[in-house]
Amino acid sequence: MYIELAVALGLGVVVALVFLKKRRKSVLKAHDGCWGVGACPQGPEDDSIRPFRVETTSEEIEDLHRRLDQTRSFPSLEDSQFNYGFNSKYLEKVVSYWRNDFNWRKQVDKLNKYPHFKTKIEGIDIHYIHVKPKSLAEGTRAVPLVIVHGWPGSFYEFYGMIPLLTEPSSPDDITFEIICPSIPGYGFSEAPHKKGFDSVCAAHIFNKLMKRLGFSQYYVQGGDWGSLITTNMAQLEPNAVKGLHINFAPPSKGGLLIMLSILFGRQFPKLFGFTEHDVKRLFPTMEKLVVDRIRETGYLHIQATKPDTAGRGLNDSPVGLAAYILEKFSTWTDPEFKIQKFGLCFSLDDLLTNVMIYWTSGSIISSMRFYKENFSKGLNQPHAKLPVYVPTGVASFPNELTHSPKSWVTPKYYKLKTYTPMARGGHFAAMEEPQLLAEDVQNFVKIVEKREKK
Amino acid sequence: AYQSVVAITRSFHLAVALGLGAVVALVFLKKRKRVLKAQDGWWGVGACPQGPEDDSIRPFKVETTSEEIEDLHHRLDQTRSFPSLEDSQFHYGFNSRYLEKVVSYWRNDFNWRKQVDKLNKYPHFKTRIEGIDIHYVHVKPKNLAEGTHAVPLMMVHGWPGSFYEFYGIIPLLTEPSSPDDITFEVICPSIPGYGFSEAPRKKGFDTVCAAHIFNKLMKRLGFNQYYVQGGDWGSVITTNMAQLDPKAVKGLHINFAPPGQAGLFVMLSILFGRRFPKLFGFTEHDVKRLFPTIEKLVVDTLRESGYMHIQSTKPDTVGRGLNDSPVGLASYILEKFSTWTDPEFKNLEDGGLERKYSLDDLLTNVMIYWTSRCIISSMRFYKETFGKGLNQPHAKLPVYVPTGVASFPNEVVHSPKLWVTQKYHKLKTYTPMARGGHFAAMEEPQLLAEDVQNFVKIVEKRKKK
Repeated sequence: MYIELAVALGLGVVVALVFLKKRRKSVLKAHDGCWGVGACPQGPEDDSIRPFRVETTSEEIEDLHRRLDQTRSFPSLEDSQFNYGFNSKYLEKVVSYWRNDFNWRKQVDKLNKYPHFKTKIEGIDIHYIHVKPKSLAEGTRAVPLVIVHGWPGSFYEFYGMIPLLTEPSSPDDITFEIICPSIPGYGFSEAPHKKGFDSVCAAHIFNKLMKRLGFSQYYVQGGDWGSLITTNMAQLEPNAVKGLHINFAPPSKGGLLIMLSILFGRQFPKLFGFTEHDVKRLFPTMEKLVVDRIRETGYLHIQATKPDTAGRGLNDSPVGLAAYILEKFSTWTDPEFKIQKFGLCFSLDDLLTNVMIYWTSGSIISSMRFYKENFSKGLNQPHAKLPVYVPTGVASFPNELTHSPKSWVTPKYYKLKTYTPMARGGHFAAMEEPQLLAEDVQNFVKIVEKREKK
Repeated sequence: AYQSVVAITRSFHLAVALGLGAVVALVFLKKRKRVLKAQDGWWGVGACPQGPEDDSIRPFKVETTSEEIEDLHHRLDQTRSFPSLEDSQFHYGFNSRYLEKVVSYWRNDFNWRKQVDKLNKYPHFKTRIEGIDIHYVHVKPKNLAEGTHAVPLMMVHGWPGSFYEFYGIIPLLTEPSSPDDITFEVICPSIPGYGFSEAPRKKGFDTVCAAHIFNKLMKRLGFNQYYVQGGDWGSVITTNMAQLDPKAVKGLHINFAPPGQAGLFVMLSILFGRRFPKLFGFTEHDVKRLFPTIEKLVVDTLRESGYMHIQSTKPDTVGRGLNDSPVGLASYILEKFSTWTDPEFKNLEDGGLERKYSLDDLLTNVMIYWTSRCIISSMRFYKETFGKGLNQPHAKLPVYVPTGVASFPNEVVHSPKLWVTQKYHKLKTYTPMARGGHFAAMEEPQLLAEDVQNFVKIVEKRKKK
């Protein structure tokens, strides 16, 4: 009798575990969307993949020059540096370079050095670049990796990092083939024509893209919106996404552990696994988590509520667009840049190329709408409540906008394989520190691949 | 007998001592009616010059040129439109289809020269105060009854408005139809950094600085007592004027009174006001505007305060594109004229703008921002005022000057009478208005003029006593 009881209990436990495991590991559901103009067409979609080249014309360049020439400047307040936004004196330098030295045709050639493609998914044209390694060792295959940008960035942010991944210097390193799509509404991807296109919709489309390209398993990497979209990709298709690497991991929900660590983490850092850097970034709480946040989220607030209004002037004024975008490249790279006059550590050519992608595609308004589509549904969306069961690696850059210590990451990412405090760098990590980021991606993927080999 | 004399004398001394003590205490306590202190500022370029300031008053005319108009047309022609999402009306901001109609009117039908003439129908002046040129309109009544003199009234605009908002209400105050009404002479200044007033060059120019300058302006014009009226920033500035110089400001009339500090009463009324409205003096309209709390006071506020957030933190960034693109500027400004007039207008394809305003008036206001290039400095005012935090001296001080509040039903922020009395200790009138929103002077000039008349009459009568 006891044996039977034990077996029954054992079975019960097994069933319960299986049941619980099946239920708890719920997969994020997504529906196929229809984002084109007008009614959804019946019948199968055109799924052809068309090569695409970035192009420009003399008209486009002359029009840009005219608008740069007719910009109406306004002097910054005395002794205000970047504290009121983009400093007017420095902006004049940028505009002067843009007008006289920046060579858009040359930059277009640079953009075209990697193959571009477009393909229609759910009614809109999705743009992406696809970079295959030139030299693959005999008997090896390249590991597919999707890298997703954010706002106000673009696929161009990855141009410095791509060769480090497709042609790594060390023979021990993994050779990747890279796919960098543009989020619908950004750059050369068509903007959705209907309301409701949020990060889950984008993730669903990107998973479909990879399927269409013939990949059944792949890695994903992202920062800013890219971090959320790749997270959603892993939540939607945990069997397809082999590994998720992100360099931006804001806490989506303030769970109990996070609350406690905010209250007591300063006095008992070790209790929460806080490093010195964690403490420096999080305390004093009011200043670091409230005041600083409020100071830097005005753009988020207006874009999440009135994107069409906020973006309209920027679609007419390249200078206004540059000021708006480059202010982020300054402040999000190093918050201290706010109080210095000249604070940009990227080349003007690279910065302006990114701006030109927004300018020539006229995509600033649709890029801003993404904020409204994501935030206006509230912070209690299904994907925000679901954890991530796919192996994850996090690169924590010291000057990232929002800092998440390791104990804040694990409540969401259940299979955290690596959490690397990086030596230096900010929000636009791929552009600012491509070497460091590539190393961390390599490190992470190697661990996952080794585990897979077992 | 001797002892009783001593006793009486002692009691008398005690009584006198107590009496004196009470008087001293009262005088001391009364001194709690603290006056807001302001320092003279210097807002011009570079170092503050020595010697007296040029205090001349110079007549000013609004002007335009063919170049200015051609440049505007050129920019309108080269605007790059972007279609709104299907079925989105004004929920994502200014609707693109309606914006095209506005631009077409602006390009083909709007007559800026004619509007400039209209602007010049009232006399304009400029005078230098604390290093910057202050612009204002000064309208004196044409027919003043024998033996009377006009009551001076300063009206202060807000953002994204201008002195032009008052052009409809001015004649109702300087030439009232009824002989019982008070005849005013009206002064409408432009806030420094707005329209034809010079922008401050130095950091720190907040509402108290503006109020101080406007009090100086009135003094310079020879008025030692006057009334003030305002909405939006004008409401805060005129409130500060009353706090800075309570002897000069005879009466304060505002059509916008957001709660400055959330005191105990405000908190309690939010918690219990829905169930016990009468306890807090809440009308049906109060309850409709305030509850459910999360929806009305949090969600709605968040939805409509993005502009405030970005202007309070990065004004130079957000304004730069608007200074190049008249279409961008118009959509940014007119979105507020839509939503702040009636929040339901967001559901309309055309934002309901032309139900209450003419395109000529709306675009004239936009043109004041465009031709003066003041959008960036107008936005900086938010950072200067909010960037210092919500615990500024003026926010903590009550107002002891007779006050009248016109509460328009569609005002952006609704304050029931209870909330208003927390700050305005001498509230003479609180009028729930029949209709109207944030830009009351422009939308309902008659109603606002009536309430101003009503309020000033009450204060004047009291003074006569």
